[in-house]
Amino acid sequence: MAPLNYLDAGSGSMLLQIVLGGAAAIGVTAKLTWRRFLRTLRIRRDDDET
Amino acid sequence: MYSSDGEVLRELSPRGQEDWDALESARFFRRAIEGGRIVATEEVEPGVLRHERLPFVSYPYEWPFEMLREAALLQLELLDEALSEGFVLKDGSPYNVQWRGSEPVFVDVGSFERLREGEPWAGYRQFCALFLYPLMLQAYRGVAPQPFLRGSLEGIEPSQARALLPRFRRGVLTHVVLHDRLEAKHAARERDVRSELKAAGFKKELIQANVRKLRKLVTRLSPKRGRSEWAGYREAAPYTDEDAERKERFVRSAGAARLAWDLGANDGRFSRALDAEYVVAVDGDERVVGELYRALRTEGSKTILPLVVDLADASPARGWRGVERRRLEERGRPDLVLCLALVHHLAIGRNVPFAELVGWLQGLGARLVIEFADRDDPMVQRLLAAKRAEVHESYGREEFERALREGFQVTRSEELGSGTRTLYLATPRL
Repeated sequence: MAPLNYLDAGSGSMLLQIVLGGAAAIGVTAKLTWRRFLRTLRIRRDDDET
Repeated sequence: MYSSDGEVLRELSPRGQEDWDALESARFFRRAIEGGRIVATEEVEPGVLRHERLPFVSYPYEWPFEMLREAALLQLELLDEALSEGFVLKDGSPYNVQWRGSEPVFVDVGSFERLREGEPWAGYRQFCALFLYPLMLQAYRGVAPQPFLRGSLEGIEPSQARALLPRFRRGVLTHVVLHDRLEAKHAARERDVRSELKAAGFKKELIQANVRKLRKLVTRLSPKRGRSEWAGYREAAPYTDEDAERKERFVRSAGAARLAWDLGANDGRFSRALDAEYVVAVDGDERVVGELYRALRTEGSKTILPLVVDLADASPARGWRGVERRRLEERGRPDLVLCLALVHHLAIGRNVPFAELVGWLQGLGARLVIEFADRDDPMVQRLLAAKRAEVHESYGREEFERALREGFQVTRSEELGSGTRTLYLATPRL
């Protein structure tokens, strides 16, 4: 039988990849933090895409 | 994946077919196949791939540190190249790697897929659990990871690694401590995080930066090992050069083989002496196998596969219903077995009765070259000294030969110059 391939990427592991992205991650981190900040202030909803 | 008439075939899903069509023409992929780093693959009919058959399947819990590190580096190297051309590996598993002797070969062509904009590397966590943490465990703590990998096919979880590894060594704070903290904090939010990352502009350069740093980290890891009982065994063992040469001649006289197993291979001297297309060189000592691997890699050997296996507790069937990862004996039967300087270790050191050992060897159905060391052999004396006197009273040449002849027909035997060791060439009774 072929091995059963199921892979859980893991939310924490995905977020960590920003930290590990070095200099390339600065813009992404800033944007992610800003979006979370706006969401906290309820200026942006979870499903807003832009 | 399935095996049919000696061929290894893979059936593609519609999505897999699309990925294959794109992958087939990718420069990195062609280059890796030409260089032997990815298993040779061709599409034999629409939706069906045929792969090169590698001589013997092995698993990460049978590899010494050096092999696990080499397999990790191959995986990272291929991922880096794939990213440059818009592909990614969907996992990060050492089970995707097999060996052509000492050369690692990436075998899971289906792991490559086109990179979706804004997605991180889904295999990063798996890479940590099955490659990075086991390597760190041996490099930073001196603990061999094979029992952990054999114990769980999922490897070492970030929370377990955090408890096991020292915090202030290279890579631990990020890949282990922070990894575990983020995982605990964001459990069960996978979909949210995926869309958040995408919206924030996550891009492949982030994966590439991580992969390149991982390559540096893994390259710098080196095995920390305690004293090994068997490293340098051949030098310490009571063999004169003349006896070793006679053994080599005896081994050669066993004739040609397609697949040979060298059980208790140590430094691989007799694996190299064999006239075999492929040799699986097995030893229970991780350090010894690591040293053998390094030597074979330097020699560029493609015909000897060194594996860490304790024969008194060999690799079992693992995974779902015990059929995902097979027992050692179920992965290709040898037609010649070498069993040199091993019987006394199993019989005295591990209490395996002669009849049991011979029965197992007979079941392999292969010609056998086996060495027996008498009670007055210095190594046997050393082993017996650790036991109560009456425990191994029946350890003797006569008893061994009786057991051997039950399962085998002895076609030749030769006593070595030391006078305490005898070699036998035997064929199994069917």
